[in-house]
Amino acid sequence: MLEIKDLVVSFNRSPVLNGIDLSISPGDSLAIIGESGAGKSTLGLSIIGLVEGEVKGRIQLGQRDLLTLSEDEMRSLRGKEIGMVFQNVEDALNPLQEISDQVTEAMTVHGFKADASNRSLRLLEAVGLDRETADKFPHQMSGGEKQRALIAMALANDPQVLILDEPTASLDALTKSDILDLLRSAVAGKMALVITHDIATAAKLCNKIAVLYAGKVVETGRTEDLLSSPRHPYTRGLIRSYPNMTTTKDLQGIPGRMAHGVAGCPFHRRCTQKIEICTQQEPKLLPQKGRMIACHRGGIVPLLELDGVNISFEARRVLSDVSLTLYEGETLAVVGESGSGKTTLARAVIGLYQPDSGGITLEEKAVTKRDLDFYKTVQMIYQNPKESLSHRMNVFSLVKEPLDVQRLGSAEEKALRVKRALGEVELPADDDFLGRYPHQLSGGEAQRVAIARAMVLEPKLLIADEPTSALDASVQAKILRLLMDLQEKRGLSILFITHDLALARKVSDRLAVLHRGKIVEEGPTSAVISYPRHEYTRVLLEHASNLGDDRNSGWSDENVLQIDRRDAILSA
Amino acid sequence: MNASRPPHGNFINYLLALVAIFSLNFILPRMMPGDPLHAIYGDEALVAMTPQMEAYLTEKFALNQPWSSQFTAYASGLLQGDLGYSYYYKDQVSTVIMGALPWTLLLAGLALIIATILGTALGIESGYRRGRPLDRGLIASLMFLSGFPDFFVGILLLLIFGVCLGVAPLSGATTPYSGATGLAYALDVAHHLILPLSALVLVQLGGIYLLTRNTMVSVLKERFIMTARAKGCSDSRIRYEHAGRNSLLPVVTATGMRLPQIITGALFIEIVFSYPGVGSLLSSSLDARDYPLIQGILLLVTVAVLTANLGVDLLYRRLDPRVRYAH
Ligand code: SF4
Repeated sequence: MLEIKDLVVSFNRSPVLNGIDLSISPGDSLAIIGESGAGKSTLGLSIIGLVEGEVKGRIQLGQRDLLTLSEDEMRSLRGKEIGMVFQNVEDALNPLQEISDQVTEAMTVHGFKADASNRSLRLLEAVGLDRETADKFPHQMSGGEKQRALIAMALANDPQVLILDEPTASLDALTKSDILDLLRSAVAGKMALVITHDIATAAKLCNKIAVLYAGKVVETGRTEDLLSSPRHPYTRGLIRSYPNMTTTKDLQGIPGRMAHGVAGCPFHRRCTQKIEICTQQEPKLLPQKGRMIACHRGGIVPLLELDGVNISFEARRVLSDVSLTLYEGETLAVVGESGSGKTTLARAVIGLYQPDSGGITLEEKAVTKRDLDFYKTVQMIYQNPKESLSHRMNVFSLVKEPLDVQRLGSAEEKALRVKRALGEVELPADDDFLGRYPHQLSGGEAQRVAIARAMVLEPKLLIADEPTSALDASVQAKILRLLMDLQEKRGLSILFITHDLALARKVSDRLAVLHRGKIVEEGPTSAVISYPRHEYTRVLLEHASNLGDDRNSGWSDENVLQIDRRDAILSA
Repeated sequence: MNASRPPHGNFINYLLALVAIFSLNFILPRMMPGDPLHAIYGDEALVAMTPQMEAYLTEKFALNQPWSSQFTAYASGLLQGDLGYSYYYKDQVSTVIMGALPWTLLLAGLALIIATILGTALGIESGYRRGRPLDRGLIASLMFLSGFPDFFVGILLLLIFGVCLGVAPLSGATTPYSGATGLAYALDVAHHLILPLSALVLVQLGGIYLLTRNTMVSVLKERFIMTARAKGCSDSRIRYEHAGRNSLLPVVTATGMRLPQIITGALFIEIVFSYPGVGSLLSSSLDARDYPLIQGILLLVTVAVLTANLGVDLLYRRLDPRVRYAH
């Protein structure tokens, strides 16, 4: 059992790791993921005792606390009980020694002299390097061969702890998958710590994942759980921004940059759901539904919840027993044909229809009346912008109107906010444009104005009812991109109503299929698209554009990305 | 493509350089204005020269014949080791040089070996202890020493140990007429050698040390050092086997490039200590304007530098597999 307790590592008094608690049991393989600079490598090096900074806390291996051992005792553990596989960078191997000699050395330095060179040849063979390669010097070998040699070296004394530091970085795809196979058998039965920024590697090698952010663990959990439904905002952002050929939703990043030594929650400057306490107090890593999460709000919060909503028009059921949850910063697509009740659903949320029964909850409070505050939080955009924009108002008045209604700020402040909102939707804010009327705008421009009008109040939830179906394809793509950018920047949640499954797949994190007023299927977009369970979903999939033959290839069209990233990662 | 193969390309380069040097040595005197014999032997020699002698020499160098025959005569002379006749020493130039060469080889060779070993050893230790007192102390003192020109250090040593303290002989390579043999002779030689040798070593040490130390510092930052540490290698293994060996490579290259400097340094030091090597010989041949001898010495020095460079090249090939198995 390897136990890390309250580990603090600082360089020149500024901490790089700040109170890490982790444990690895034999047979466990734990991935440490996070952006570069989060302290991942420092963690690996501090276990093997090669970190240069000041180290505090406890690293318990069996009966020993590694941090109290002398350098000599530590040296005799390195490579013998704790093996480390480094990334195959240009100079990871001594350029002047033959490979087999370097592997042999790993044994001889621990006193295993007898038969060491034969054993080294056998080890190299076991990792897939033949006799001829064993006699080579590093510069004569390919990247994959060098990585294999590094693995052989770490395994030489059959250590109980194995640390892999970016073991698949800088390898091409084919080699990477070979090396992953090799590593999978290498970590079996050991206590393994896999440091990587590559989520696919983590998914393939590890049964557990810990997410490191600015020297802190923000979430840990079983690999499948954590990747399929990340709970910490940072984990979600990390997975969202992970480039994968088989992603469905377009890539999104996380706003801002990582900084160390931030007071309160280390992530708060980039978090779109922060509350007051986040800036003052550091959240503890606490168990929650089989995970550990460090977040004052217990992870990503639900923004909008529909619970058993029923609506009938003259004895005709339009929505029956609809329950949905939309999380902060996510997009929930509701997909259905016309007449499925999807527009009614949108209008029920915004308050145009009153449910017969069932509840609607916004930010954990039941919505009873739609007052000004409600519309500050929830805004809507419609299919046909020209109809929703009054043709008697110019662009400036249109975007300013919500501010007037809410009585927000002075005239100058309003003008400023109007211009900022127009900037966010990438429209000009000059007098000429501000003075135009809806009939002078193109379809794309009009929809942007409508979005600006919705965004000027900085709402948390945007209901988009077929926002692009009246636009041609290229304009449509730009508007969608714009919505996703707004989501990334602001943590905007989007309820996306559409009949187009192909479109829904591109923009949504979760997907609900509405059929005759009922939710027939709901789940992570990827799962629904790849493994539809309901007959109706399959019918929709068959008729969806762009989802035909190329559904599983992942290569065909950059804009129409395939299958879910998490599934792909898990099945990699 | 990875097979070990002899460095043909390089040998050819060396051969070309050698041919160029010999050709220049042939062409230059003959391009000078006036009589080539004049140019080869100089004014004073001609004054002392009898017509018979002049006729003999003209005949010998085929100076009255076309260039092609002249070159054949020159080349065949060279092949027989004939560098001409030193009228000052009244002997064959090659014989005169051979008398002085062993002393120079002894002095310069020993200096090179000692400075290299000492410089790299100090450099490795110092680089490994970067920033600590030993490192700082060594940097300061060796930088100070290597700031002086070589003859100056020579004169300084001569003044302190030879003149003031009187513990070392002032000049020469042996005590004249001592008739010592065997061990006594060897000790006598060593006693005479110590000062010029120290001067040369001290001057060369700084550069070698500094280069080794700086290379060591940067090699220690390379990833394979971390790999070696993670294997459990001991400090001394890291220092010598991994970092040390890698730090040697630039030293070897630099030594090759510094060879001309080392040789001229040795020649100056010989003059300071009146050490009977090639340097002193050059000095007196310059005084006497013994042109054939001067030319012979210069030819020898160039060939020596070239040969030594070839040696360094071969050594580097042995040390660095990346060059040995270059694709
Ligand atoms: S909600 Fe607060 S505690 Fe949770 S991640 Fe965001 S800033 Fe940190």
